[in-house]
Parts: sequence; C-alpha cells; structure tokens
Amino acid sequence: MTQDSAEPKQPTFDGPPLSLEEELAAAKAEPEPGPSIETVNESLKDGLNRCPKCGSTDVQLRGSTGMLVCLFCRNEWQEARVEEEFGLGEGIDQLEGTVIASGAGDIAADAADQLTFKCEACGAEVVVDTAHALNARCHWCRHTLNVNQQIPNGAVPDAVLPFRLTKDEAVEKIREFASKRRLFAHKRFKKEFVPENVLGVYLPYLVIDARAESQYWGKGEVQTRRWTEKQGDNNVTYYAADVYQVARQVSFTVDDLTVEGSSERAQIGPANTNNIINTILPFDTKNAVKWNASYLVGFTSEKRDLNVEAVRPHLEDQLLSIGRSQVRASLGRFDRGVRWEQEKLDVGGSRWVSMYLPVWLYSYRQESNGMLHYIAVNARTGETMGSIPVSQPKLLLAAFTVGTFLEGIAGAILVAMA
Amino acid sequence: MTLDLITALIPMASDDGAVWLLAAGPAGGAATYWAFYRYYRNNDKSHQFERDTLIAAQPVQGGEEKVGHISKTRNSDIEGDNSDKYRQRVQRVQ
Repeated sequence: MTQDSAEPKQPTFDGPPLSLEEELAAAKAEPEPGPSIETVNESLKDGLNRCPKCGSTDVQLRGSTGMLVCLFCRNEWQEARVEEEFGLGEGIDQLEGTVIASGAGDIAADAADQLTFKCEACGAEVVVDTAHALNARCHWCRHTLNVNQQIPNGAVPDAVLPFRLTKDEAVEKIREFASKRRLFAHKRFKKEFVPENVLGVYLPYLVIDARAESQYWGKGEVQTRRWTEKQGDNNVTYYAADVYQVARQVSFTVDDLTVEGSSERAQIGPANTNNIINTILPFDTKNAVKWNASYLVGFTSEKRDLNVEAVRPHLEDQLLSIGRSQVRASLGRFDRGVRWEQEKLDVGGSRWVSMYLPVWLYSYRQESNGMLHYIAVNARTGETMGSIPVSQPKLLLAAFTVGTFLEGIAGAILVAMA
Repeated sequence: MTLDLITALIPMASDDGAVWLLAAGPAGGAATYWAFYRYYRNNDKSHQFERDTLIAAQPVQGGEEKVGHISKTRNSDIEGDNSDKYRQRVQRVQ
C-alpha cells in the first residue's frame, strides 16, 4: 500500500470562526470610510515648492515673520490657515462620530521610511529618510525636494504652525531659565551647558475638536453643627453633617485640545522628564497653515507614531477632567466637600487633525543616571520650562543646614520656656 | 520662611507641652530639599488643559438627595474629597 507523502494542505488559521450573525454583519458592512477631511496640498504634488513669483525652489521659513521667503527674489508669502481652509473652527457642537483629516490617518506599519524622489529640475534621484526629515537638497542642482504628498506612512501631517521665535531669542530664554538655577545645579551640567546647541524641532501633535457629555455621581456633605468639647487639658472640635447623594451632568465642546502624537513623549512619569514638553502647551493652533514642507527647512522634525485609536483613551481622560472642572462651581453648597465615586462620558463627535508644532529644544543627558533633561521653549508664545540636573550632595547639605538651624532655635525656645 | 515657621510653632508648643518644636528641624530640612528640588526639576508641572483650552459648556444639570447624617465626627472635611482633583479618575460607568 502506498501512502501519499504529501500532507493535505491546512487552511490558514485566522482566529475562531464567527457566528452566523457576525458573518452576516461583516458581509453587509460598509467599506471602511476614507479620511473625512482631505488636506493634501495639491499644488505641491511634484515635490517641488516653487516661489509663486519667480519659480525658484530655494524657499525657506523667515522666522521673524512666520512667512515663507524665496531666497532668490526675496518674495514672501504664506500658505492658507487651515482653520478657514478646512473649516476647523466651525460646527464643533454638531460633530457626529469620528472625523479624521487625511494627515491624521492610521500609520501604515509596513511602509518604508526611505523614499526616493526624482528631482524635477535635473532628474537626479534623491533619498529622503522620512523618519527624520521631510525634505532634502538635490546634491546636483540644490533644488529642495519636499515630501508634500501625503504618503501612506503617516509622515506628513495636515498642518504646520511656523516658528516665530528666532534662535537667538530661544537661546536667551534658555540661558535665563538655567541661570536662575545655578546654585544647586549639577557641577558637570554647569560645565557642559551650551544653550547655543538648541535645536528647532517640529513635534507631532493631534489637535482635536470634540463634543461630549459627562456625568458624575458621588457623596457631598454639608456641615450642620460645629462645637468644642474639653478633654483633659485639650479642646477638641467636633462636627455634625448631612450627607447627600450628588449627581452632576454637563455638555460641552472643546476646541483644539492638543495631544502628543509621539509615543515616546506621551509617556509621562517619574522615570523621564517628558512633562517638560507637555508643560509649554498651549500653542496658538488657530494660526496653523496648510502643509508645506518648506516651513521645515533648517529645522528637524519627528514623525507621529500614535494613531487616533491609541490616543482616544487619553482624549477621554482629558474630557472627563474638563467636565469635572466645569461642574466644580456648582458644588458651593457642600462646604465639607464632595467625593466623586463614579463618572461617565459620551463623546458625541470628535474631529482629528495632525499638526506639527514648533519647539526650541535644549536637551542634556545626565551621565550618572542616563536621564534626558530638557529645556523647551514654545516657539510661538516663548513659554519656557525645563529640568535641570540637581547636585544631590549640595542640596542635602543645604537641607541639613536649614534643619540644624531650625532645631537650634527650637532648642533655645525650649530651654527658655523651661 | 524660617521665621514664619517658628512663629507658627510657638503657640503650638505652649498648647502641647512644647514637644512639637522638636519637629521643626527635620520638617524645615525636608521642606527646603523638596522646594529646591521642585524648582530645579519641575516634575510636578503640567499643561493645564482644563483651563487653557477653548471650552464652551452648557449649564450644569443635576440634583442632590439627602441620604444620611453624621452626628459627631472630628473630621472637618468629607473623607476622600476629590472635587478639585480633576485628573484623579474614579469608577467609569459605561
């Protein structure tokens, strides 16, 4: 008897079988909707950004005016504000479901970062590494090639907020911030501190408009009586109170809530100093302009790596906090306070736009513990915040000195009283 | 700061037999350390999105119902007051 050596071909396992209802629902389901707001800048599709006056491609941002300048004919212009161009400020109270602009679409995990562009001017092929930069110079004819098409790897956002603060102004802000914190700064940091090493970086954010309703339930107490009783030598104060079951509900809209689009920066905790970047928010996101990679010339940029679904829990958390702050004023009656025990959120609709926001960033890696310290300057408002490595021995010595001094005074008072 | 602390401690000392005064050294030392560390590292700072975002809210609705009475307690406030701690999450109802 011969046996067939070929094994019967096994079907590929793709999860447990669906129930009949689920199969039917999947078959009837509409195809996944595409981006709801199309933000592609059509005029830049060839990768070249030409001066509208003379056609030169030698274009970059002039920081002092926030406008693009042609380095050939000195013509200045700017892209349209996305607020008006795509109607982002309107209709927040009528938002339904999740509206996603094309630049905030999901990041394709398998898309390559390296893109090859054919220079339209001389025909050379130029490679752009979209993980680190969205433009490159043609090495032959010096044309600037920009990643202006919204390629499917999520590298290109919908909008960009141009730098306004110049590098010199940023250096001054950083120097001022650090000089106020010299006394207990780490010795090595003081030696190695060079604010001129500041970098202009466009950081990726998701800017969200949302319509939500939140509800809260808890206990509140109202004081009804207060009296003191004598216990031995001491007077003890007692209270009587009525306990209430409290419920509150509020509907609200938020305009331009700004959330980190980089997973590395979104993790905030004692193990890092990421909160510094978060602290320099908010930006004047209403002034963001339509995507044009020429705004990025001379600056570095970071690619977004969080999709809308990954950021959604963070948004819900912030909406619940906003609702709680809104109902705070209605709790005046409860003079002993309110303890919220349950909360509920319904997000009626949200609109997501991917945006590059400008930051002047000075970073310093502390050798002893490997921690990365930042001093960050909001390149629109100038708000500055930072983390300076502390010299623990110096700080402990200061604390010990103050403690000893106070203890000495306390001892003197005790002796005097005795 | 030091003088404020001492003037605050003197009346307490006369009430409770002056034992409190001995805490001045360790408390002052710890407060100095904490205050400077925070000034340098700023790890308590955060963007105040509850205040700095454009928010348009409808009037707050809701109600309250008396469910009990505390006839005698030494606590001057409700236990676990979180009405100002907007970011402290509680049980989420779906």
